[in-house]
Amino acid sequence: MSDGSLQSSSFRRGGWLLLALPLWVFLYAVNHTVSEWVAFRLLGLTPKSHLGEAVAFLFYDTPKVLLLLTLVVFIVTFIQTFVNPGRVRDALSRRRPGLGNALASLFGIVTPFCSCSAVPLFIGFLRAGVPLGVTFSFLVAAPMINEVALGMLFAMFGWKIAALYAGTGLAIAFTSGLILGQLHMERHLEGWVQDALKGPAVGELEEETPTLSARIELAVQGVKEIVGKVWPYILAGIAVGAFIHGYVPESLMAGLLGKNHWYSVPLAVLIGVPLYSNAAGVMPIVEALLGKGAALGSTLAFMMAVIGLSLPETIILSKVMRPRLIATFVSVVALGILLVGYLFNAIL
Amino acid sequence: MLIEVFGPGCMKCQTMEKHAKEAAAQSGGEHQVVKISDYAAMVARGVLSTPALALDGQVKFQGRVASADEILALLKG
Repeated sequence: MSDGSLQSSSFRRGGWLLLALPLWVFLYAVNHTVSEWVAFRLLGLTPKSHLGEAVAFLFYDTPKVLLLLTLVVFIVTFIQTFVNPGRVRDALSRRRPGLGNALASLFGIVTPFCSCSAVPLFIGFLRAGVPLGVTFSFLVAAPMINEVALGMLFAMFGWKIAALYAGTGLAIAFTSGLILGQLHMERHLEGWVQDALKGPAVGELEEETPTLSARIELAVQGVKEIVGKVWPYILAGIAVGAFIHGYVPESLMAGLLGKNHWYSVPLAVLIGVPLYSNAAGVMPIVEALLGKGAALGSTLAFMMAVIGLSLPETIILSKVMRPRLIATFVSVVALGILLVGYLFNAIL
Repeated sequence: MLIEVFGPGCMKCQTMEKHAKEAAAQSGGEHQVVKISDYAAMVARGVLSTPALALDGQVKFQGRVASADEILALLKG
């Protein structure tokens, strides 16, 4: 590919992006009107009826969540092109507990992370001299404070709930890493990991700094990849949300997940853990739960359990940790989520 | 050139391997694509996040799927 064709293609891309923004704003603005028109005029459903409300929610929420997701993923992927796991690792190397845990939790939010990367990252950190407890803070924060979820919460429910989510997630990651570090569980790593740790630390990887147009290109790719992958989860989440919205009575929801019962938070966590969904897929459910009078603490606990404590990630981590370490890890995080749920049910 | 693709076998890693093979075929040169899914081997090479790709032992991409064009540009470069 010659430089000329590369330039003209990035100019074309730039033109598309300039067109995409007003289109986005227009679609977002007309979405509510169109959804009501489809549900109540085109399909002739009765407003305020169970079916009518469920269908209107479906037609309103699907474009809304997809539009917001596209924008959030674009911004998040763009920001992530500035973060490099190698540099994060070096910044955390030989940090003492406390400051190290705090930094690791913060880095956990912005570092691009997929659960299949958890193992090489885990070992790479330990091998470069990042303490086990600090590494755990990172491993808890990375999935639990999902950057896409954070952006979606901000866009859908405002900065207060987004800040609450990030703040409590950081607190859980910080504290559980601190506790796990004090337990000195290095000997509960699998044998081959202990062997790998004896090897010399690996030198710095040279990576080129991307240009601005390359960063935009990566962000567009990220949108295609992530939106293309998570839309089934979103549709499933919206279907559940629409059902809750149309059919589940408020009294039932307030009874199960309200703030006046001791069991509502553990119940929310128990429902959340086996549900493997994507951060974006859980948003419509959160929306419907809050709308039906579920308490904020219970809902937050539910969301964190779905995103932060997933079965597939636990299975992947069991390749490097012995059962006792895995069990401790999961219990400490689950305990943190429970505390957050109770705390917010009590004070809000 | 030796093209190594690192990844435990998730979707992204398979896509990366496919792109590497496409690039190798398009470039017309002598290239060999090898998939490495052993964690210990990845760690030994300093790979922190997957999928990753190395050319003649040098890690060029990690933590994202590179397009066939990007890999092709490196093969020709």
